Amino acid sequence: MKSQQKSWMLKFSTLIVVTACFSVLLASLLVSKNLNKLLVLWGEDIQMTVYLSDEIQTSEKQKIQDWLSQQSSVEKVDYINQKKAFENFQTQLSSYAPNLSEDEELLKMIPASLEIKLSYQIPEGQELKTMQSLKEGLSQLPGVDEISYGQDWVQKYSALVSGFRAGFNGLGLILSLAVLFIISNVVRTSVFSRHDEIVVLEMIGASFKRIRKPFLVEGAILGFVSSVVALGVCGGFYLLGTKFVSENLSFLKLSENLEFFSLPSIVLFLFVGTTIGTLASYFCVRSINDGFSGSQRGAIE
Amino acid sequence: MIEFSHVYKTYPGPVHALKNIELTIGKGEFVFLTGPSGAGKTTLFKMISAYDLATSGEIKVAGHDLANLKGNSIALFRRKIGVVFQDFKLLKDRTVFENVALPLQVRGDRNISIQRRVLEVLENVGLAHKSDQYPEFLSGGEQQRTAIARAIIHQPGVLIADEPTGNLDPQLSEEIMDLLERVSSQGTTVFVATHDHEMVKRRNKRTLVLREGMISEALR
Repeated sequence: MKSQQKSWMLKFSTLIVVTACFSVLLASLLVSKNLNKLLVLWGEDIQMTVYLSDEIQTSEKQKIQDWLSQQSSVEKVDYINQKKAFENFQTQLSSYAPNLSEDEELLKMIPASLEIKLSYQIPEGQELKTMQSLKEGLSQLPGVDEISYGQDWVQKYSALVSGFRAGFNGLGLILSLAVLFIISNVVRTSVFSRHDEIVVLEMIGASFKRIRKPFLVEGAILGFVSSVVALGVCGGFYLLGTKFVSENLSFLKLSENLEFFSLPSIVLFLFVGTTIGTLASYFCVRSINDGFSGSQRGAIE
Repeated sequence: MIEFSHVYKTYPGPVHALKNIELTIGKGEFVFLTGPSGAGKTTLFKMISAYDLATSGEIKVAGHDLANLKGNSIALFRRKIGVVFQDFKLLKDRTVFENVALPLQVRGDRNISIQRRVLEVLENVGLAHKSDQYPEFLSGGEQQRTAIARAIIHQPGVLIADEPTGNLDPQLSEEIMDLLERVSSQGTTVFVATHDHEMVKRRNKRTLVLREGMISEALR
């Protein structure tokens, strides 16, 4: 009875450890996924502004627009004439500096411009390179006065995306290996605690398959149940997190862009969790049940 | 049933555990194996039960050439022999019935025939009334009788017993030996390793002596 109690305690503690590992892995995946999504959303706001010279001819402006429409990296081009630019400037500055917006001499200096939105097809992290290439092309055309695309912001954005991606890939790899290692060790302990059973089963002629099967099933169940519980834990924290963000950080408008794992991702995670549990068990059992384990571990002495 | 022909066993060192073993034990024979500790008795039993391979020579048990056993054929061979240990090797979390039923379950017998056969064997070894008990609540003699019941339930051709009375008092030892003799009288070859010379003398059975890895026949 005591040994049964001990065995249940071991199984329960194993479940807790593996669930904790899976939860950390899932949480980092969820943070990575949402952070990546936010970065992509922010990336969509990146645009270029081409300031046109005051003396630009209609044909020159048309030529610039034609050239831009031929570029696959350009999604949309809006022409902002001086009047529109003036109105925009007034709207933006009226509440901060009302006197400045009334200074007509100053406002007449605002040039007409073309606002370029980049295509969604551009791979993430390639925005800066694309803009530099567009800038080179535009600089050759007459009537272009200045080109601005917030180089610093784009550069930092690209670095941030690459940094986060590399960081989360590394963390994911380390955590996956740690989970495999921990499950393997925990299952190994469980297998060794049932060493006598394995010796007896070998002695009475149980096949390798029959001896290994209960351990593999146990590993699979452990992996599956741990994955389910970890998903539950992560889901709970996700709900709490989104509630906190929507209540306290509503000005960032993050909550409508946050999302949990999709159904296919959940199914995939359950499959991977179950596979990890089964594999960890397999490697442990294989090493102690090779047909002569009884003699190697003192079955007959 | 058991044949050793020019068998040598050498461990790294080199340690010559068995030297030129020539041995034949027939069907239904009851044979004792004696000898000082470290003489090679355990090595010999390991080889008979396919837990270890000979360095050279040929071993045949129950019609199987043990050198040719690989993978699951080892398991199939072990279903034809029975093994009894000094420390019983019963599963503590299973009842007497469940321990004894194991070899038949492993063989894939139907539950109804397992039920019938286990009760029959438990009756034979005098433990039918203890079938629902867990091993820790049994005496040493009862535990060894359970182990013997498990070893003979599948009617093996060969039963090897390594010091089966080593942990038992003289009276219980006699009971166990009586039981093993009954098994032998039903056609199973029984090979028993023991240190109990008095018992060997009393039983007046064929006795082999193993000394420094070499085997010889003792005079009766």
